Amino acid sequence: MGGGKNPRPFLKMHRTLKFLFSLLCGIFSVLAVQAQDAAIREKLSHAILAEGAEQPKLVGELSDTGSKIVREVLVAWTRDNVFLYDADTVKIPVLLEDQTDADGKARAIRIDNGKFLLDDKKQELRFAPTELTSADTDAALRTVIQQTLDSLALADPDPDARENAVLKLGNSKKLKNIPVLQARLAKENDLTVRRNINEAIAMLQLGDPDPKVQVAALQQLAALKSIGSLDMVKSLAESKTAAPEIVKAAKLSAETIGEHIAAVNFFGTIFRGLSLGSILLVVTLGLAITFGLMGIINMAHGEMIAVGAYTTYVVQNLFGSGFAFSINLPFSFFGHPLGFGLHLPGMNSTGWFYETYFIFALPLSFLMAALAGLALERSVIRFLYRRPLESLLATWGVSLVMQQLFRMVFGANNVQVSSPRWLQGHFTLNDVLLGYNRVFVIGFAVLIVIGTWMLLTKTPLGLLIRAVMQNRDMASCMGVRTARVNMMTFAFGSGLAGLAGAFLSQIGNVGPSLGQSYIVDSFMTVVVGGVGSIVGTVYAAVGIGTSDQVLQQVTGSPVTGKIVVLVCIILFLQWKPGGLFSIRSRSLD
Amino acid sequence: MKKHLMKCLAAMSAAVMVSSHASAQDTVKIGILHSLSGTMAISETSLRDVLLYAFDEINGAGGIKVGDKSYKIEPVIVDGASNWPLFAEKAKQLLEEDKVAVTFGCWTSVSRKSVLPVFEKDNGMLFYPVQYEGEELSKNIFYTAEAVNQQATPAVDYLLKAGKKKFYLIGTDYVYPQTTDLILYKYLLLHGIPAENIGGGFRKDDSGKVISAGKYVPFGHTDFQQIVADIKQFAASGDACVLNTINGDSNVPFFKEIAAAGLTAADCPVVSFSLAEDELRALPTKDLVGELGCWTYFMSINSPANKAFLKSWNAWLKTQTHPGVVKEKRAVDSPMVLSYDGVYLWKAAVEKAGSFDVDKVSAVLEGGVVFDGPGGKVTMQKNHHVTKDVFIGETKANGQFKILETFPQVYGEPFMLKDLDAKLAAK
Repeated sequence: MGGGKNPRPFLKMHRTLKFLFSLLCGIFSVLAVQAQDAAIREKLSHAILAEGAEQPKLVGELSDTGSKIVREVLVAWTRDNVFLYDADTVKIPVLLEDQTDADGKARAIRIDNGKFLLDDKKQELRFAPTELTSADTDAALRTVIQQTLDSLALADPDPDARENAVLKLGNSKKLKNIPVLQARLAKENDLTVRRNINEAIAMLQLGDPDPKVQVAALQQLAALKSIGSLDMVKSLAESKTAAPEIVKAAKLSAETIGEHIAAVNFFGTIFRGLSLGSILLVVTLGLAITFGLMGIINMAHGEMIAVGAYTTYVVQNLFGSGFAFSINLPFSFFGHPLGFGLHLPGMNSTGWFYETYFIFALPLSFLMAALAGLALERSVIRFLYRRPLESLLATWGVSLVMQQLFRMVFGANNVQVSSPRWLQGHFTLNDVLLGYNRVFVIGFAVLIVIGTWMLLTKTPLGLLIRAVMQNRDMASCMGVRTARVNMMTFAFGSGLAGLAGAFLSQIGNVGPSLGQSYIVDSFMTVVVGGVGSIVGTVYAAVGIGTSDQVLQQVTGSPVTGKIVVLVCIILFLQWKPGGLFSIRSRSLD
Repeated sequence: MKKHLMKCLAAMSAAVMVSSHASAQDTVKIGILHSLSGTMAISETSLRDVLLYAFDEINGAGGIKVGDKSYKIEPVIVDGASNWPLFAEKAKQLLEEDKVAVTFGCWTSVSRKSVLPVFEKDNGMLFYPVQYEGEELSKNIFYTAEAVNQQATPAVDYLLKAGKKKFYLIGTDYVYPQTTDLILYKYLLLHGIPAENIGGGFRKDDSGKVISAGKYVPFGHTDFQQIVADIKQFAASGDACVLNTINGDSNVPFFKEIAAAGLTAADCPVVSFSLAEDELRALPTKDLVGELGCWTYFMSINSPANKAFLKSWNAWLKTQTHPGVVKEKRAVDSPMVLSYDGVYLWKAAVEKAGSFDVDKVSAVLEGGVVFDGPGGKVTMQKNHHVTKDVFIGETKANGQFKILETFPQVYGEPFMLKDLDAKLAAK
């Protein structure tokens, strides 16, 4: 919601310093905190075990503790993750640890003292969630818990949580929240949160009985360009009962905010266009090489993307609990069922180390797809260099075989690839939402385009590739080992597709038919850009991506937007059949 | 390979022998008409499995008693292959060649629409178990499915009660989401939500009448950036929620984008009408925790009947030798339980009518047959829909729902649009 005018990356750094500082302070105050924690834990456990009308009251009392434990436990409570362990005479509320062992069991943490639950022999007890009964909540209690969480969030150490909590109070339309916010403003150091508090106070003041306060609030909201208040401002502007000066001020404010929204949408659309274009580019670049440069109509390009995506999945599992598959063949050999399988043990890592899996997955997905490409080139494509139509059929067949292989190994359902934390979330720049994963893909696209360009123009291999692609026979006469160059080029193109797959696993589905959904777009982009031209592919990808997003915004419907883009492409190709950058060369004629 | 073929042949002949042997006793043929291949197979094979389970359960308990005879059920399974015209052909085969007494089948609305004329022409009987858009009533079809007023509108009631004031509609572009969203749009207007607080955009005809409400994406859509940015702006003023009728795996990029934009279930919950426990198995539930669902059955229902059902179902799965039945990590969801309920409603009606005759059984069903199923009491109504409990649930990290609210015994009403139009006009 909302966001600051302040550049967040700087703030983040600032926050890191603050965090370090508070860590230092923390070490000194650890003892005091421990005593305080113990009291809070007692209260929490008491609240969970309480019954009847006492329970909501006890929960409400927790709201001024400002404690992380309280928030954690309350959230777990609403999600049925607080369990009651039945000791002989009393019930002990516990949480289960995130990390489970091979049987899906986890250690239980006592809410009343934060220690692990032990049995008579001082051994740690382990439970599966199904073995315990969870502490129940009803609708009334959940409302109280939510209110408690909201007021807890005001004092949350995380500024993002405070920002949201503040805006929630601003939307509450209750004047009694103004002093609460003002008290917070006096204590608040974070610039974005301060801005949001001011916005929230102004939103609440719109309901003030004094017209002067209302007008001032309206002007304040306009100055803050508050998108969240637009609904309220508009209803004041259209109000027939409000004083004329209020209506006038409201109209002005609504206009200012409306202009701001238009600007936000404009820049947002440009950004989203760039990000979609980058995805297209990442997906297409491999094809620009195998189809564009080498002239192979490679219908298995999509499956190379899927190889990359599945590699990411396997790497993720190796960092987690391991990966196993087994295939039973549908026939037997003298009564022995035939089949094969593989079991790779996992590292069971957690925390930041687990999150780094994606960094390892990127080069590995390139490698795996390149190897798959190498195998495909050696086994099928090298026989078909002079027969493009047959290469279409053959690679299509290969793509079907590969899809079925994915189904056998990974199952027909989609597999789940989780995003590392550093690719989740977003920052806002003047209310424009920039997702980390979107920023990442733009940077990623730039890097691989530069890498490809360097390879093709600055290395001896690049020179050979260009020579072979321009005229295979002539290059061969000059002593170039064309077969080898073909093989390397195809493997490189496939590897790029694999990289695309690794990235796609972060934003969409990973399933056997993943490749199918990108193959048409890929060919389209290469053709529009001009077959054989890498630069053309770059322009075409960014152009198609941006116009898609712009048209979606203008027409208001993704379907219409896409149709208009396709019609434009058809018209464009009528005008320029060779694409954006058509290359004239005898070998292509 | 050859050996395999021989085995197959042997198995087939064995099956034929068993069936011919069984028909010497008293058996009744029941059709199962689902997609066992193609895109819909992932969802529909589960329904075949639960039907086979119900048949085995009935056969094990002595079969169906008509008069003083008892009949064993003989399933006739045909594959619609996610191909809608093929559904009609297969229906014809079931009715005219196999002469089944009743058929359980179909998932998508388009497959139901394609078999409807066949069932009407041959006077067959079809039980349809999957939530749908309503606006249809055939004398040959019994809809154990959730009508819109047993899923979408109770969810809206719940959200209105929770203080939500802005509703964003988004769905896949086909008949179910379009019709449901149009009903929801009118329902919201009727409950005092102004049109500007209903997000997603409208399409109007020449006379200015709204003919489509909400944002629609094609099947398999992956780029939700623009839409989620739109939702984020829509929700900036608080008290907003999203009503989601997106079908299939487009939900994954949608929820990933929602998570990346920082829209949390606490601030702006998403209610999904096409995601049940079976679908959640293939989704990253971590991104969905706290989002809402609304069905007439949840696997987490804490009743002795449900626990017994799940226990017996799991035991049955372990012993299954039927090809293609997946034994591990299975979930049970509303369409499966409604299929199961349908079998028992039909059985009760047949036993009461003392005949397998479609017209006689229909008459009994219309008179109000009752069954106490895993999801609670279900009663067949005169209008071929079913009265049953409706539950609102919140998604948990383990792919189950925590039940937040129960609407007891909701009457199934297929025709809502006309009624809403009349009420809106009166307002």
